[in-house]
Amino acid sequence: MVVQRFIMCAANSVTKARILNQCRKQMTNRLIHTSRWMFAERLYTNKHEWVEVDGETGTIGISQYAQEALGDVVYAQLPDVDTVLKQKDECGALESVKAASEVYSPISGKVIEKNLNIEETPSLINSSCYDKGWLFKVKLSNKEELSGLMTEEQYNDFVKTQEH
Amino acid sequence: MPKLVKVWQIGQISYTESLKLQKYLVNLHHKNKELANTVLCVEHPPVYTTGIRTKQYPESEANRLKELGAEFHRTDRGGLITFHGPGQLVVYPILNLKDFKSSMRWYVNQLEQSVIHLCAKFGIKAETSPHTGVWINDKKAVCAIGVHGSRFITSHGLAINCSTDLNWFKYIVPCGIEGKGVTSLSKELNRHISTQEVVPLFLDSFCKIFACNYVDFPKHE
Repeated sequence: MVVQRFIMCAANSVTKARILNQCRKQMTNRLIHTSRWMFAERLYTNKHEWVEVDGETGTIGISQYAQEALGDVVYAQLPDVDTVLKQKDECGALESVKAASEVYSPISGKVIEKNLNIEETPSLINSSCYDKGWLFKVKLSNKEELSGLMTEEQYNDFVKTQEH
Repeated sequence: MPKLVKVWQIGQISYTESLKLQKYLVNLHHKNKELANTVLCVEHPPVYTTGIRTKQYPESEANRLKELGAEFHRTDRGGLITFHGPGQLVVYPILNLKDFKSSMRWYVNQLEQSVIHLCAKFGIKAETSPHTGVWINDKKAVCAIGVHGSRFITSHGLAINCSTDLNWFKYIVPCGIEGKGVTSLSKELNRHISTQEVVPLFLDSFCKIFACNYVDFPKHE
């Protein structure tokens, strides 16, 4: 009787353990997926541009710090599709409060798309600088350049040194 | 230690020459030359200029304005079309904003405040408005602003109507703003106010607002 109960308990434990393990695996998988979605990494330059890489394509925009420093954007001059850019090339300008500020490419590549929405509605750059206010996309030509850019944490630290 | 800017009161200079000079000074900044913050005070022969939003002024527009006897230039500054000519004090601060505050919005506001401070010296109440520039009674612009930023090095600048012949403005919609007029210090005060009279007063206002001191550009440079 005791032995039976012991075996049953053991069996239960094993089942519980198996179930727990399965749960843990599922949770871990889900966590990994969530992490990838949350931290699809944006990398930054010291000129306050960001690039988000997806395979061979980089989407480029300006940071929150940059859009605040500009003021309300009224016009965006973007590079044309097929333009070949080298890292740090001046590739466009954003106009705000009668000031035209240059935009620099954070990486080398060929322009494959420019955001026509912001040509229509430049204020998206202010209201949604990381999402709808992206500027242009390039096909990366040198992924090694990415290692020279700042992570979000490094960039946030960098911004703190700028505010004096 | 207060910041120092060098001031070069050039007087009459063609627009093309002033562009070359500005480019040269901007490059000095990029090369990290010390004490490169410079303010140019100039006057131009009659010229109409546009900013980066230049497509709305096609060649036919440019030709129409040239026929009036003025030059026409397309530039990389912000702002729409404006006029420069004798009697107008044009100021080009070539500054590294990182020595002050790295924000174009702040910089433009400081320029506006400098001109407002200057107008107060003449007993004129000037203001800002949602349209960048300096306005009297919200209706007449006494100063136009249009600047460019290259890695926070500024070029182009502002233009204050001291005794400008305002008729030149009739042929354009200044700064693209319909329904507003243009005025000058002379017109507002009913006496001739020359650019020479305004320069030292403006520099004093500029230095107060930007918290800096100025020295005249050394001759050997």
